[in-house]
This record gives sequence, structure tokens and C-alpha cells, in this order.
Amino acid sequence: MQDEQRLVQQAQQGDKEAFARLYEGHFDKIYRYMFLRVGDRGEAEDMTQQVFLKALQSIPDFRWKGTPVSAWLFRIAHNLVIDYWRKEKKRATIPLDESVAGTGMNPELMAEYRLDIRQLVLATKRLTEAQREVIGLRFAGGLSVAEVAEAMGKSQGAVKALQHSAIVALRKALSAGEG
Amino acid sequence: MNKRREFDDILDECLERLLVKGETMEQCLESYPEQAAELRLLLSTAADTKEALAIEPRPEFKARARYQLLSALNELKPKRWLPFFLSWKPQWATALALFLALLLAGGGTVAAAGSSMPDTLLYPVKLATEQVQLVLTPSSLGKAGLYARLADKRVEEIAYLVDSGQPEEIEPTAQRLENLLGLMAALPLAENGESKVMLAPGPTPAPPPPAAESGKDVRAPSNQRAKLKLLLERYAVDQPAVLRAALDRVPEAVKPTLRRLITESESSYEKTIATLD
Repeated sequence: MQDEQRLVQQAQQGDKEAFARLYEGHFDKIYRYMFLRVGDRGEAEDMTQQVFLKALQSIPDFRWKGTPVSAWLFRIAHNLVIDYWRKEKKRATIPLDESVAGTGMNPELMAEYRLDIRQLVLATKRLTEAQREVIGLRFAGGLSVAEVAEAMGKSQGAVKALQHSAIVALRKALSAGEG
Repeated sequence: MNKRREFDDILDECLERLLVKGETMEQCLESYPEQAAELRLLLSTAADTKEALAIEPRPEFKARARYQLLSALNELKPKRWLPFFLSWKPQWATALALFLALLLAGGGTVAAAGSSMPDTLLYPVKLATEQVQLVLTPSSLGKAGLYARLADKRVEEIAYLVDSGQPEEIEPTAQRLENLLGLMAALPLAENGESKVMLAPGPTPAPPPPAAESGKDVRAPSNQRAKLKLLLERYAVDQPAVLRAALDRVPEAVKPTLRRLITESESSYEKTIATLD
């Protein structure tokens, strides 16, 4: 945490290398979160880039209050997801099968994971927004309960309860998908 | 209620042990035999979820994203370089200052900035305007043309710096030129590989044009590709020629930079044009 605080301070003073290190440390997690939340590789890639470019714009105003950088980055990511789905509602919905099938992974990874991801993205559609967010932050983003609580503006107890209900709902949705 | 809360805590502890600390599910279930049946189902769903999400970004995307971020970083001015009134807090003061500036200068500021040179006050406005142009250009073909035109501006600025007796000042412009050429050459322009590429988003990302709204790749009309190719072929000759002409007018210390730019320019255009064939 102290290392991260130092990196943030250096980045705020214009140290490009410090910002690049923050970027490297969180890039893959943000990408996984975006993939789960939007279910489309191309969109997930664009939006992952947007998260870091927005972070770059706003890092001078970031105030260190012990909040992990990850919580701040995922809050930016969450806002982009909300914007995305608001716009998507106005458009024709992309068929999920088609969008997930275009994951663009290398064939080995695709053979191993494609079905799981497809099922998972479909199953999360049956969850509430808050449940989807918890699953995204905990399992795709790899955040701790404390970090999720910070990112979502909830208490840790509320996040644990939400996590419980989300996993139950996800299990039901996956079971329904199998049948 | 308390029992529910207790189970939420147990589930969370087991998730940490299973997913973070690498313990097995059985180890956790042994710790809580009374809740084992319910825990087993939930932990197994959590483990499946985690495994399904073990995806990695494509290496080429990751490389491109890093390059674009570094490019955006290079375009940033350190905060201390801003005039006092722009770095002053609170934020409404900045907004007020900008509002007054626009009120006084009007749209003419941006227009005037378009032809400004690196040694003028309006040059940062010119660079910022270019970033906005890039954000508003979602297609790869459009971006390629824009990168090439912006590269042409940088070449023009280098020639200006040399002509006005400031050859030692060309390094920042040279770096910007290299970034633009690198970004152009990295674009996926092959007919079956062109995809929507977003660069630096503004606070609210610009909506893509209708053809790109499906989120799928956009196949550009062949005449657009042909026009772009013509443009690039022209710049591929003109830009290195301008840089070569400047070589004779700079001190020895600056020559390696110009030679590097000439090589970079030639190879970037060659590579980009080849992907359009």
C-alpha cells in the first residue's frame, strides 16, 4: 500500500514511469472486469484503454485517503460500464452468442475457456446490477472485500451479504443454463 | 439474522483461503463441518467463476494500448508548466478562467492555434485539439490518415525550428513525430483485420458512427483505402524529403535525430502502405 501511495504521488508530479507501473499492475484485472461486464472483446479492449486514459486525466486530482488505487480505477471502470449499457439500450442488442464467440483468443485458450466464459457472461445477465458488480470486482478484478466496499461505497458487511446472494444467484443461473 | 451474517463471514473467509491463499476446498470445509454442504456448492461455483475468468488480453492489444498510453503521457505537460491561474484550486476557478478566456478569445483561439508553432503560446492548444480529433476518429483508416496528416504538421514544425535558428529545440517535436508514425504503423489496416480503435477518450466518449455501432469490424469501401494509400504515398516521399533538406542546415549534434526521423518515416509509411495492399 505504501509503495502504491508513493507511485501515485510520483505520478501526480508527472513521473511517467510511475504511472506506467500503476497501469501495468492493474491492466489485466480491469480488462477481465470489462470483459465480464460487457461480454465483447472489442468493447472490453476499448473500454480498458478508456479507463487508463481517464485515470491519466484525473490523477492530478486524486486525493490519497488510504483508498487503494484499484478501488479508484474500478470506480472509473464501473462508470464507463454504466455509460456503455445506457447507450446500448438505445441500440439494437448484440446477440450474446455472437459477441462472446468473437473473443479472439488463441485457439488453445478458446478451447479451454470459451464455453465457461459464454456461460458465465450469459448467467450474469440474470443477476441484479449490484450482484454483477460484486462478481466483476471480486472474481474478475481480484479485489478484496474491503476494496470492493470502497469501490461500491458500501460497508464490508453489505458486500459480504451481496457476495453471498450473488454466488447463489449465479449458481441458479448456471444450473438453469445447463438444463 | 446473526446466523446469516455469520455465514456471510464464513463464506468470505473460505473464498479468501480458496482463491487467494491457494488452500483446497476440503481444508475449508473441515473448518466448518456444520456449513459444509452449503459451502461446498457456493465455493465450487466461485472456483468455476474464477477459472472461467482466467483470460488474458491479446498481446497485440496490450502492446498497442501501452504504446498509446505512453504516447498520451508524452503529450502531457507537467502541471507546473501551466499558468498559475490554470493550476489554482478550487476547480471552479479553472472553469471560470477557461470560460473567460473563451469569452475573450472566442473560437478564434482554436483556429489560430491550428497554425501555431512549438515556440508559441498557443501550441499546447493545437496539440490538445489534435487529441480531440483523434478521439472523434474511431475507424482505423480514418486514424491512419489523421496520424499521417499530424505527422506532416510535425515535419513542418521541425523545418520551421531549423529555419528560425532553433535546431536544438526539435527533440520534443521529433518525439511526437515518432509517436505518430509508430501509432500509424501499428494500426490494424489489413482488409480482414481492420477494427475500431479508440484512443484517448474525453470525459464522455464520442458515439461511434452508425456503421460501427454494432461493435463489429467495419469494412471500409475500397475507394477510401485507395485515397488513403495515395495520401500515404505522397507523404512517404514528401516528409523524408523535407527532413533531408533540413539536414544541411543543422549543427552536427542535431543530425543524428534527423537521420533517425528519416529512417523512421520511411519505414513507417512503407509498412502502413503494405498493409493497405
